[in-house]
Amino acid sequence: MKLPLALLLAPLLTLVAGLHTSNWAVLVGTSRFWFNYRHLANVLSMYRTVKRLGIPDSQIILMLPDDMACNPRNAFPGTVYSNSDRAVDLYGDNIEVDYRGYEVTVENFIRLLTDRVGDEMPRSKRLLTDDRSNIFVYMTGHGGNEFLKFQDAEEIGAPDLADAFEQMWEKKRYHEILFMIDTCQANTMYSKLYSPNIIATGSSELDQSSYSHHADNDVGVAVIDRYTYYNLEFLESETIGDLFDSYSYEKIHSHAGVRYDLFKGGADAARSRLLTDFFGNVQNVEIDGTRNTTMIDDELISLSKTIARLSELAREEEMAAKNQSDTKPAPRKVQVAKPLNDDNWWTKKLVGATALVGCAVVWGLGSYFEASL
Amino acid sequence: MSVDLQNDGDSKPIISPDAATVSLPATGIATTTTPERKEPPPEKEADTRRRSWIVLSFWLITVFIGLPVWWNTTTIYRANLPLTQMTDWADGKACEPVFPLRIALDVGAMPEQEAQNLLRLTQHALDDLNDFSGHHLRLQLAQAPATEAAAASVRDDSNVALTIRLAPGDAAHAASSSLHPHLPILDVQYPPNSLPTANSPSSGLATYIATQLGSTFAEEQNIISYLLETSSITPEHRPKGISQEVVESVSKRMTRQLKYSQTYHLTFSLFTNGPIPSSWDIEAAIDEYMKPVLDMLRPIHNFTIDTQVQLYASPGVQSQVLGKEDLSSFINAAEWPLSPSIGGAPTVNFIIYIGNQTIGVPSEASPAETSQSWMIPQWGSVYLLAPPPAEAAHVSSETLKQPILTFTSHLLTLLGTPQSGSLPLRLSTLARIRSADLLLRASSSLGSLARLTLALPSISIPSNVADGVVKTIQHLELACASLGGGASSQSLEHARVAEREAERAFFEKSMVGQLYFPDEHKIAVYLPLLGPIGVPLVMGLLNEIKAWKSRRSQKLKAA
Repeated sequence: MKLPLALLLAPLLTLVAGLHTSNWAVLVGTSRFWFNYRHLANVLSMYRTVKRLGIPDSQIILMLPDDMACNPRNAFPGTVYSNSDRAVDLYGDNIEVDYRGYEVTVENFIRLLTDRVGDEMPRSKRLLTDDRSNIFVYMTGHGGNEFLKFQDAEEIGAPDLADAFEQMWEKKRYHEILFMIDTCQANTMYSKLYSPNIIATGSSELDQSSYSHHADNDVGVAVIDRYTYYNLEFLESETIGDLFDSYSYEKIHSHAGVRYDLFKGGADAARSRLLTDFFGNVQNVEIDGTRNTTMIDDELISLSKTIARLSELAREEEMAAKNQSDTKPAPRKVQVAKPLNDDNWWTKKLVGATALVGCAVVWGLGSYFEASL
Repeated sequence: MSVDLQNDGDSKPIISPDAATVSLPATGIATTTTPERKEPPPEKEADTRRRSWIVLSFWLITVFIGLPVWWNTTTIYRANLPLTQMTDWADGKACEPVFPLRIALDVGAMPEQEAQNLLRLTQHALDDLNDFSGHHLRLQLAQAPATEAAAASVRDDSNVALTIRLAPGDAAHAASSSLHPHLPILDVQYPPNSLPTANSPSSGLATYIATQLGSTFAEEQNIISYLLETSSITPEHRPKGISQEVVESVSKRMTRQLKYSQTYHLTFSLFTNGPIPSSWDIEAAIDEYMKPVLDMLRPIHNFTIDTQVQLYASPGVQSQVLGKEDLSSFINAAEWPLSPSIGGAPTVNFIIYIGNQTIGVPSEASPAETSQSWMIPQWGSVYLLAPPPAEAAHVSSETLKQPILTFTSHLLTLLGTPQSGSLPLRLSTLARIRSADLLLRASSSLGSLARLTLALPSISIPSNVADGVVKTIQHLELACASLGGGASSQSLEHARVAEREAERAFFEKSMVGQLYFPDEHKIAVYLPLLGPIGVPLVMGLLNEIKAWKSRRSQKLKAA
């Protein structure tokens, strides 16, 4: 009984695996100021890790609200470290920050997720995912019960985040999402999610804080949070299940949470997902045959020349026919001043006229009363 | 204001109980006197009435001006969307996804009666053969003899996908067929004695033509049924008939092809691992080996081309012989400038790397030789070129021939061009597949927007979204009506507009914003505002009602 079932499932599994063609990462830090050094270090170490694991920079969206490397209080200018041994400079040569400083806002974050951006937004700052993309969303900052503070000025609520994910799902903008959040009371942030195919994990329960791992006495502040620190340590393990099993209260000092119920196949399917499904490089390259087996040769080139010429001819003929059919001279047009957009044109005119008439009447009445007094 | 009203119109000072304690600072002795309680003089009738009018007018202003203004300024504008129509499109109720392909039968000098007979029999055979109802081949007799020039011009307006040119051949040989290389024509040579008689139930020639047609369009059928299968169309509106294996094979192709876009940027990059070669004859090579194909694709796609050269470029993998895993990390995404944000069109990358690395994956056909190029799905392709001899600093156009031809074939694959059939057929098939794809995508976008509108009651829907939806539906109808045409048919154009409008409507920029406000926030906003206004309003009303009641009871007593 087991064997036929496995046989039945096998094509299904390959189909699922075949569906996913790219990995994307959205890494968001949300706090400013020097004493929040660790949050930016969290994000930068995640950035470094996903990049090293193979996601190209064009598919990583990095949001950094402050510039710790150039902070005047930084004793090591131009660098950011996430460990007091200061072995790895996270702010090395190749760092591409997509949203920086005051660009990191709730609105921009939601715009990024839902891709509701204007034409002026360059492609490098957009999340150009489709129904075959896996997305890793990592957020860190100061949070509370069902909210995460952005930049000391605003906050994103858990329902907003859930709605943004739902809009992404509706527009088929992801295949699977791994949502990871490291803030105080982080688990409340994913409690409102309701879209399918999301695995969520957070650092701490309701009313629990998320703690920093250690401080660097020369830098003068804490350099990394516990949850992120132990995640990074385990990110090269095999499956998502392994990673989640590595969380413990002794290490993190808070109860890390995991949510599987949105995922198709539940906990088992989610736990057996490889970490490389979210972090790695998924180029299914296709190697060509040897020199002589390409489909294109000189013959095809000359063929396509002929076809292009023929269709050009046909188009010209069509144009000629069209020209013949409407050769009568176009009526002379008189240029008139025209409003650029014609929405509510008459309404606006009417409002303006009413305002003018009203003013005239008031003025008239005023002078009348003045005269009669 | 009820407090103010107490003093209104009465200029006499009222000694309130609070002022009973009088301190005399001159003597320093505080004497407390309790004056007998003095009632204020009775109010005048006119004052009472005036007070009632004032309270009433405040309430009227609040209810008839304040509330509507508040309501209007705080409600979210939601344009009316034709929700049922949108869901109908998404479910496939509005447009039956059927692709009727007209196929002309050019019988040459055959008598009318016999031609009709053959047509009828072939159509029968075709209908028997075809089990997928979404893709329907319909035969008709060609009006004019299909000369080459006529076929080229006829193709545009009559939507004939393929012309079958029948010619009597050698009686000794069986029927044979060949696809015309330049035009969508299937030449069939048949032995004269195989023509069906007037009332024979079947004919060898008819069956032969039907099977030929079936195999010619098999690939297109598979792709279209796959598209329908994976679309938002509900199963009951979807024509059936696709096997699991076909789905899998097509799915592999679909995952590697690029998403449709009217314009693509082709970026040709030359990376060398040393100081030379530093220049290449890329323009001539593209003109010679790729331009014809690009010209041919013009009705379906536009292309812009740019090129770059980078010296001392190190790949992501340094090993001498590249295994299959190395290939996927060969591109040095961090250091190679490969994602230029030029405009809004997607970029297709073609990379020539000059170095001495080789691919270590033996091909199945000839294990001795290895290939030099590989394709990266949805991205582009890479060609490894051996360093030119004699320290040449220039790469000539001839050297680039093989790479560019390879890139051309990769481009066709990435664009999703079918692999079988003659070139003109492949092109018209590509146009049909793309219009089907766009049509289905636009429909599913409409469905998503409709569901979202219902699911998120607090999202604002500006009027241009409604306009976009109307435009989308209009173009979808036009596209649906002209489905099944050739490369230059209107269907693709309409589907393109529909898809663009649907995307624009869904991704409307102003449909963002924080949608959710916790109740505490609302209280925090409204309490300071409404408290000072609400308390006097309500208290005034209550006082009025109390006064009115007492007046009435007095009146009753008096009566």
